[in-house]
Parts: sequence; C-alpha cells; structure tokens
Amino acid sequence: MSLSLRIEHLSIRAGLTLLVRDISLTLTAGTPLTLLGESGSGKSLVMHAIMGSLPDGLQAHGQIWLQLPGQPAQELLRLPAAQRQALWGRTLALLPQEPWLALDPTMTVRQQVQEVHQQVRGLSAAQARQQALDNLQNVALHDAVVSQPPVAERYPFQLSGGMCQRVAIAMADAAGGQVLLADEPTKGLDEALRDSVAQQLLREAAGQRLLLTITHDLQLAQQLGGVIGVMRGGELLEVTQAQQLLQQPRHDYSRRLLQADPGRWPVRQPSWTDTGGQLLEGRGLSKYMGGRCLFSGLHLRLQPGQITAITGPSGCGKTTLGNILLGLLPADQGQVIRTSGLTSLQLQKLYQDPPSAFAPHLTLAQGFNDLQRRHGFSDKELAVLLERLGLHPSLLQRLPAAISGGELQRMALARALLLKPRLLLADEATSRLDPVSQQQVMLLLGDLCAEQGLALLLVSHDQALVARMADQVVSLEAHGVTA
Amino acid sequence: MLRSSLWGTVLLGRALQAVLVSLLVGSLCFALMHSLPGDPAMRIAAGRYGPDAMSLQAAESVRQELGLEQPLLQQYGRALWQLAQFDLGHSLVTGRPILEELQVQLGHSLWLALASLLLSLLGIPLGIIAGARAGGWLDRGSQALAIGVRALPPFVLGLLLMWLFSIQLGWLPPAGFGSWQHLLLPALTLALGLAALSCRVSRDAMAEVQQSAYFTFARHKGLRGLTLIQRHGLRNAAIPVVAYLGVQAVYLIEGVVVVESIFAYPGIGHAMVHAIIARDVPMVQGTVLTLGLLFVLINLLIDAACRWIDPRQGGTR
Repeated sequence: MSLSLRIEHLSIRAGLTLLVRDISLTLTAGTPLTLLGESGSGKSLVMHAIMGSLPDGLQAHGQIWLQLPGQPAQELLRLPAAQRQALWGRTLALLPQEPWLALDPTMTVRQQVQEVHQQVRGLSAAQARQQALDNLQNVALHDAVVSQPPVAERYPFQLSGGMCQRVAIAMADAAGGQVLLADEPTKGLDEALRDSVAQQLLREAAGQRLLLTITHDLQLAQQLGGVIGVMRGGELLEVTQAQQLLQQPRHDYSRRLLQADPGRWPVRQPSWTDTGGQLLEGRGLSKYMGGRCLFSGLHLRLQPGQITAITGPSGCGKTTLGNILLGLLPADQGQVIRTSGLTSLQLQKLYQDPPSAFAPHLTLAQGFNDLQRRHGFSDKELAVLLERLGLHPSLLQRLPAAISGGELQRMALARALLLKPRLLLADEATSRLDPVSQQQVMLLLGDLCAEQGLALLLVSHDQALVARMADQVVSLEAHGVTA
Repeated sequence: MLRSSLWGTVLLGRALQAVLVSLLVGSLCFALMHSLPGDPAMRIAAGRYGPDAMSLQAAESVRQELGLEQPLLQQYGRALWQLAQFDLGHSLVTGRPILEELQVQLGHSLWLALASLLLSLLGIPLGIIAGARAGGWLDRGSQALAIGVRALPPFVLGLLLMWLFSIQLGWLPPAGFGSWQHLLLPALTLALGLAALSCRVSRDAMAEVQQSAYFTFARHKGLRGLTLIQRHGLRNAAIPVVAYLGVQAVYLIEGVVVVESIFAYPGIGHAMVHAIIARDVPMVQGTVLTLGLLFVLINLLIDAACRWIDPRQGGTR
C-alpha cells in the first residue's frame, strides 16, 4: 500500500459542545490538501487531532488511518499517547504558525536543525552537522555571497519571517516526517515571502510526502493547488479540486470566502475629492534604523476623508512612518505639521494583533466603562456605534479572548471612534483576520471616511487591498522611496 | 564593531555608577565627620596615638597635617581628591590604614558571600522541577516553603538556625571564626533567603518556557524528556534567573552586614557595624564604599553573564 492518511467521520468535542462535526478526508502523496476557513471554523483542531496534540479537555472521535508504505495501516486515535508522541518528527511533521516564535531564540538555526539528526535520529555530531547544513542548503538557506555571520550560524532574531519558515521546513526534512502538516504557514508574511514559502511547500509535497495545509490565505491555496476543503463552524462544506473550487464554488459560503479576497473586491467608488483641506503634513521626513536608511526626504500630506496607504515589503519601515506621522516616534530629519486645533487624542491607532491591544482579564464592558469615565461619551453613542459596526451589545460582557479576532478588531475600532478621531492609523489591522472579517472591517473603515471625513492611514503589505482602498499610496522599498 | 561598542556602553554605564557611588559615599562621610560634636583633630589624634598619648600638640600637628583649619569647601575638595587616589585614610580606632583593614575583612566576607551564593544555587533545580510540573504538589510545597523562609528577616533566621544546630543539636559552633564549621551557619542563613527567591523565579521561568511556542515546536519535532528540557528549557529559563541575581545582590550585601554581626564573623559588615558604633567615620566610609562598589561589580558580572546566555542581548559566544 502506498502512503496515505484517511480521516473517517472525525468529530471533536469539548464536553457536550461539538466543535468539529463528522469530517472525512483522504490525503494522498502528490496531491496537496488545503483546508480553508475563518478562525474558529475548526480547521486547526483537525490538524491537532491528526498530530495528537489537542488541548486538554477536547476529545476526538472517529478514525484516522495512517498508511505508511510497507507497513500495516494504524488507527491513530486508538494509539496510547506515548506511541502517538513517538510519531512526532519521525512521521508527523508540524510546521508551526509564526515560526519566528517557534524557533529557540538562544540557538543558531544550524544547531536547531542539527539536533534533529543528533537527538531524534541518533547520528554522530559531525554527521548531524553536515546533514543539517545540507538540509538548510535544500531550502535555499545558504550564503550566495560570504556573509558574517553565515546564515546557518545566525540566531532566529537575525532572520526574516520567511527564512524562519524555511528553517522550520528544513527541520521537518531532517526528521524525515512523511506527513507534513502546515499550520497557517504564511501568517504575517508579505507577498514575496509568501510565494517563496508556497514554492518550498510544493517542492516538499512533490516527493513521497503528504501535505496538509491550514490557511485562510486564498493566494496560498491557489498556489498549492491539489484539493481544497472549505470549513465553517466545524463542518466541512465542500472538498473539490483547487481549480474548480476557485473558479466555480458550489457552496454559498465558499463563494463569499472567495469574494472576500482583496483581489476580487468590487472597486470602491472614491468618496474623497481634493478640497485643498489639510490635516497633517510630513515635510522632508527621514528615519534611520540600525545604520540603515528607511526613508529620507519624504513629503506627505493627509486630507480629511482621504485614505492614504503606506505599503512595501516586511521590515521596510511602514509602521515606523505611520508612528512618526502620529507623533509616537520622532523623525531623524524633517517635521510633522498638524493643522491648528488637531490634538493628539484625535490621532488614534488600530493595532495588528487585536488580543494584545486589550487587557486580557477585563471584560470589554469594564474597558468601555473606564473609557467613558475618562472621556465622557454617552451610553447612546456607544450603543449606536456598536450597531453601526455590527456588534451585538451582549458581546461586551465577555473577555477579549472570548470573541473572534474580527469582532475584537471592530471593538478596537469602536474604542478609537468614541474619542472622535480625525486621523486613524490602521497598522496591518486586518492582516491576522480571515478574509471575510477583513473585508467587513475594511468596508466599515471606508464608509466611515466617507461619512465622517475621517482621514485613514492604512499600513499594509497587501498590494491588492491597497489598490482597492487607497486614494493615495506611499510605497516604501528596501532602498529609497517612490511616492 | 557593533558588539564591541555595545560592551563599551555597558562598561561605561557601570563605571559611571561606580564613580557616583564613590562620590555619594565620600560626600556623606565628609558631612558626617564634620557634624559630629567635638574637635575632629582631637578625635583623629586620639585614634592614632591612643587616648593616653594624646596631647594638644599632637592634635595641633594632626590639624596642620590634614589641613583641618582650612575652609570647609577646600577640605571637601581635598577629601574627594584623596578618595580619587584610593587614599582612604586611617582608622580612628586602631590607627591602621583603612585599606589594610579592608583587605583582610573583605576576604572573609567574600568567602561568606561565595559560600552562601553556592548553597543558594540549590533553590534553582528545585524551582526548575517545580516549574516543569507547575501546579503539582512539589510546586505548591516549595512555594509555601519559599514564602515562609523569605518572610523571615535574616536576623530571625540566623537565630533560629543557631538555636537548632548549635544549642539543640550541638553540631556547629554558634559563632566565631577559624574553620569551615564557622562559615556554615552564617552562609546557610543567607543562602536560605536567596534560594527561596531563586527557586520561585526559576519556577516561573521554567513554567513560562514550557508554555512557549518554541518549546512546543521542539516537542513536535521529536525531542522528548530530559533532552528537550536540557536543550530548550534550561538556557531559556536561565535568562530571567540570572538577571534576577542582580536584584538578589542587594539582599546578599544587606544580609552580610546583619549575619556577620549575629555570628561575630570578622567580615566587612561586622567591621562596618563596629565602626558606626565607635564613630570611626573613615572606617565607615571604607566599608560602605567597598560594599557599594561590590554591588556595582556583581551587576557588571551579571550583565556579562546575561549577554553570554542570550544572543539577543548582543553578546559573543
């Protein structure tokens, strides 16, 4: 029998609550399988059920048959925990999300790959070292030119997000796991890095290996091809060949999911017209970081109601420029001039990761109460705003972690709008949301600009999104600036 | 290039701190010397030649020699200048140069500090094991013990140990100096307080590392058991533990003063307390200065250790 993984009638429960309902899927070599769906759709739980790393308190029912070549098929859910963990690395390889957090910060990447050969496979130090260097070379992590320190001898904090993801792939190669499980492998990566990770995954799947990818990145799903499954609310809505699903989805939700891809958004009618008004102006702005020039001599003018996007690859200084305009960071040269009467309180910011922008142990209602005591808005204002943002008032009684990322980001938006801002900086504010939530938040932001004359400063690496949203684009590049 | 300049910043910062400590201690002691009632020249002469041999002539020659008739500001400048040249003067009690006295006492105190630091390291493995099984009985037990021990001030703890090991069991001498048995009780007194905190800090550090994404990933890539803890747990958990030793240095130095007095151990803390009682201001200055500079030195060593463990802090390894 050739290599395969068969999921039959898998359900996952937390006590009496059904989180994943009766899923059946088959993974075969040479055909990547991608599960698409919003956060909370249960797609990660499916992956953890295969791995045997479900959080305490969740039980998986059904069967997961793993067929390794030349061996009898084994049913994973029935194996004792110790035997399942013995499969980790050797058979099942999990590629973590946000690998820059998943690599040990105090070891060089070569050491971290080497230890897989040495500790897991039992090779000698010298052999393990050589093989680790080979693994890194295979994922294109080697020095094109001599650099100091060489890439293999760097620590994770000295590498880009895409390079860290390739290190994680090199580790999976090292352990030789035949089933590759990739958990949101492109989360937080820009387009160029995403493409390189997708290419690498395809190369891995081309050999005798199974690839299951979990993502809400439609571009990644398209590049991987193979078969795509769409999940929602713990159910598998449809499983189809990638091309067919992307062109003619059968299910309504699949259609909505595809429509939510920024590349397919309807073109926005620009609501802003140049009235000559001015809110904020940056004159001759320059910033250096670690001896590197991020941008210099940058001129920029923001008008009421105008949507300005700052875009460019990871690490080019987008967020830094946004923070300088808001007055959160000083510029090395040049100045930011605010129109008269514009106070700091009228400059607000939406952050990238909603959960870290809220106090975790306070209910949202408590947070809004504190804000009300300090800034004195009426209950009615809050109620109207929540309705406008499509948030049910009962959500206020919950803790930030107990509502979805999209809802929480809209709560953050409500929190900012209550202070009646005239300029809002949205710093990659939707990059961690699933496409449907992302579109919802972005549409709201666009409407608010049109209705209230709010100026929006959008920091994003997503070119398609920027093209759909912005009236004015500032592109930062690794070297120099085009405005 | 970047690295050496980083080290430069650290060394410069600590050097500035050392100068500041010296300046403060010198100024305070100068003010103290001149606010004591009576004639400083007489006091110094009595210290040097003994109360019996002290005469008006002797006091006058001391006054001339030390410039005690000069304006206050001039004397202050002179005092700081002497300090800058490491001239700490003579003890008012024994008449011997302060530097000589300090050398002997500091040696004794360093032994005590080192012994208690080594003993206190026992708290770290306990904390690591407790943290690896956070919420278990060992975790809760060690927490109760740590809080109990740390809540007792060193002088109470010292007396308790003395009562138990010297008076009830008769295993160790209650006080004095001369053999390793004499070192054991004072070192243990200090070590328990240090170990209590190290234990809790290492427990929290270990528990946090186990929750981290990199620890989970290391498990998923196939590492298990002790290999996993040794390769990905210990070094990462050590970062906050070592950094916290800098804070512990305060406890250690404060503890040395108290514990040496209780156990009549002839170290620098003991000397300081006696100098204060005898109003031997130059000696007070010498001992306080030494303890202050010791604190700066310990923190410098800890900076270096942190950089060595954690590559993100820009060290070389």
